[in-house]
Amino acid sequence: MTKARFATTSVIALMAGIAAQAQQSDLNYGFNGMPGMIDMPTAQSPAEGTLAGSLAYQEGYFRATFTYQLTDRATLAARYSVVDLYGNPTSTILDGEFERSFDLHYRLLDESAYLPALAFGLRDVFTPGRFASEYVVATKTIGDNLTVTAGLGWGAMATRDGFDNPLSGLGARPVFDDADPEGQLASDYWFRGDAAAFGGLTYQINDRWGVVAEYATIAYPEQPFSPALETDTPYNLGVTYRPNDSVQLSFASLSGRSVGVSGTFSLNANNRPGRSGSETAPTPVKVRDVQAAQSWNRATEPGLRAATAQLLQMEGQTLTGLEMTDTTVRVRYVNGRYRSQAQAMGRVARLLTQVMPDSIDTFILEPEARGIGLSAVTIARSDIERLENRPAAAETLLASTGFGDAGPADSLADARPEQDAFQWGFGPYLTINPFGGDGSIAVSAGLSLRGVYQITPQLIASGTILQSVLKADKRDPAPDSTPDIQNVRTDSQFYGDDGVPVLQTLTLNHYGRPGTDLYSRVSLGYLESMFGGLSSEVLWKPADSAFGLGVELNYVAQRDTDMLLGFDEYDYDVLTGHLSAYYDLGNGYHTQLDVGRYLAGDWGATLSIDREYDNGIRVGAYVTQTDISYEDFGDGSYNKGVRVSIPQDFFSGGTSRGTYATQIRTRSGDGGARLSVDGRLYDVVRDAHEADLTDTWGRFWR
Amino acid sequence: MGAVLAMNVIRQSALVLAALGLMSCGPLGQGGIAAQLATAASTLAGRTPVAVPPPPLATEEQIAANPGQFVRVNFRDLGRWDTMVVAGTNGPRETWIGSANLSVTTENGIVVATRGMPRDLMGAETAQTWAAIRAGGGTAERRHDFLDNLDQISERLLQCSIASMGPDPFERGEVTQNTTRFEEKCVSDQLQFTNVYWVNQQGQVVRSLQAVSPDAGYLQIDVF
Repeated sequence: MTKARFATTSVIALMAGIAAQAQQSDLNYGFNGMPGMIDMPTAQSPAEGTLAGSLAYQEGYFRATFTYQLTDRATLAARYSVVDLYGNPTSTILDGEFERSFDLHYRLLDESAYLPALAFGLRDVFTPGRFASEYVVATKTIGDNLTVTAGLGWGAMATRDGFDNPLSGLGARPVFDDADPEGQLASDYWFRGDAAAFGGLTYQINDRWGVVAEYATIAYPEQPFSPALETDTPYNLGVTYRPNDSVQLSFASLSGRSVGVSGTFSLNANNRPGRSGSETAPTPVKVRDVQAAQSWNRATEPGLRAATAQLLQMEGQTLTGLEMTDTTVRVRYVNGRYRSQAQAMGRVARLLTQVMPDSIDTFILEPEARGIGLSAVTIARSDIERLENRPAAAETLLASTGFGDAGPADSLADARPEQDAFQWGFGPYLTINPFGGDGSIAVSAGLSLRGVYQITPQLIASGTILQSVLKADKRDPAPDSTPDIQNVRTDSQFYGDDGVPVLQTLTLNHYGRPGTDLYSRVSLGYLESMFGGLSSEVLWKPADSAFGLGVELNYVAQRDTDMLLGFDEYDYDVLTGHLSAYYDLGNGYHTQLDVGRYLAGDWGATLSIDREYDNGIRVGAYVTQTDISYEDFGDGSYNKGVRVSIPQDFFSGGTSRGTYATQIRTRSGDGGARLSVDGRLYDVVRDAHEADLTDTWGRFWR
Repeated sequence: MGAVLAMNVIRQSALVLAALGLMSCGPLGQGGIAAQLATAASTLAGRTPVAVPPPPLATEEQIAANPGQFVRVNFRDLGRWDTMVVAGTNGPRETWIGSANLSVTTENGIVVATRGMPRDLMGAETAQTWAAIRAGGGTAERRHDFLDNLDQISERLLQCSIASMGPDPFERGEVTQNTTRFEEKCVSDQLQFTNVYWVNQQGQVVRSLQAVSPDAGYLQIDVF
């Protein structure tokens, strides 16, 4: 009966329309993972913040592409391909060559009532010749379901029916020479040589099914180091299926000779599937009901400390130290649950209102990691009481919150929980190593056994043993193309390929606070799979500054390929290190510059820029240039790559500090290689400092 | 049939366990709010903070016998309901929790915050709505804060009009509630909803249907 009464009102719907975020469900991804038909591009682009992963397979050609919509107009892509190439002479075929490529697509004009969208793009911008092509393309939507595309292509996109370049001011396209170093901007090729006209249609039959037809001007000519694909006709025909907004599957008939399949999976960094999260509600604030007393009974302190520890543990926060005065409490804790340190802080602050004596009116919260205090965030208890569940509570609280360096550790009463000094665990591991100098990619998977022994909170011994279940085929080393340079990375494929347990790491790590705003790290032992020795680092990073400065100095020797204890096989040691500057540029951009000496003894610099979304998604690119000459360096003459990291709570809405991360880099030689040491200081401290805390401050009250 | 019975048994057991504060919550065995509050309470009472005293059992009789102590909330879009007790009081605002570790904060029976839902209402100002109900109708401005997909606070300013729909008695348990029904229509440029309040002769909201957010839907709240 009461139900019926509500039924009359429950038809009232909540309406939330944000036109700008409307799904572009008819955006089609081509086989190269970019907006396109099958082989040819369209002028459309996905919504800003879209990340897409795409796999495409046809006989003799496999592509895995990561695509990112950096701004409303700019689309970037990084790709691994495994492709059969014509050799030189072309009667030979190079089977399964591993290639990396980067694409850029830029939408110049939006579609209007009468005019099409207009875009240009460059495919494989860093590798002259092989697949490089450029295009200008226009796409017009007709009705709701039909798009018509026409464009001009250059390079590989003008290998069929090419005509004289309409951009007549530009000269001839250079002839590709395999001896040219890879990885340079091929700007002398761009929009040069013959051009060709391509076009096509996409038609969306219903929400799920669509068809695609295109006239392709990529003819895959039989020439050295070009894809060994055969074509009969210029027509490609395909069917697309979209089971939901984030998946597109395509089946296509390619050039009348073969069939291909592709799958594209996309998400938008601005559109979190886990929404605002599904973690349980926090304990509410307990408001003091009398005028605050001037002091409290010190005899109760041990009990208060125990209660605080117990309360924090229920929120996944481990209390490690506590200092109480008449009016303040300083709480040091390890956040073991929430991605957002601000959220952890909000939970700790509310729990403190439950137990702290009334006279305590200031909370100083000090997140800790690796045994050291990272920052001190000072919050007025009265603000917590006054602002709970009020509009603009986060913003108002932030304005009166103080950010500073963590206080001295020795005035904290120890509250670390009793636990075994030795802990261990094991689990599966999977590594994909694209370092191979001969263009191969090495995959390893198996079991990893890890042990940690805590000598003091700041001094920790740890080790990892790996047992691979995929025994690598022990190929003979490829001829060393750069004999003058130590094989600091190009031999990585020979490490641990015997199928027996190997020692991945065995280290002694110490973290410290040598002074105000200063952090230190010393790591000793088998630091990574290929190098062991001593690594030391000092970081200057005020908690309220967007800027940080670090120095790292390492003395390391190259390990034996059996990954046991020896250093004899290579007899190579090197002093390597960097001066690093870190700067949070604001507006979601973060940059890092490292200048110094790399593992092969080469000098140079690495510049990284990351687009960081406040919800934790990071998409970055980096480039390294060192003094090793192109002749010595060989392919991938400067080391560069892209990386993506997505927090686990993005998908689940649950609580997790973990992330999914990967990177794609160009073929890297031995130049510009850095030691891969765990726990670099900046990554340890940054999320407890003001800039990162502010990014997720909206979660303080969650 | 058997499955339905089993589901009921599970639901009841869960409720009893939760009421006893014994239910471990979440995959990591984290303590619920009830356990945290009990720990805090026992500390302040000078006892060792390990024992968790059982909060009141929420039988129908007890709910009826303790007016003002319980609310029953139907989280319609989550497909669950919960009997809740006050976990905290901050001025005129009361935060209610139940076994599901969701919380709802109300002021004069009007929802001002939720926690634990897919798109929480992080905070709201609803004093004008309450004043309009007291006055028998009128207009009100509300501000609602939400947590968006980028962890930023996104605010909505809503213009609301509150009107009395006249007497609308309903029966709950075996008691007829003589109430007046009020409807509140709220709009902003990106959000619109209609809340319904049943207000008794003492001027208390005893039942309501209130919107949280497009992702979290409506709450049906019965105040006992």
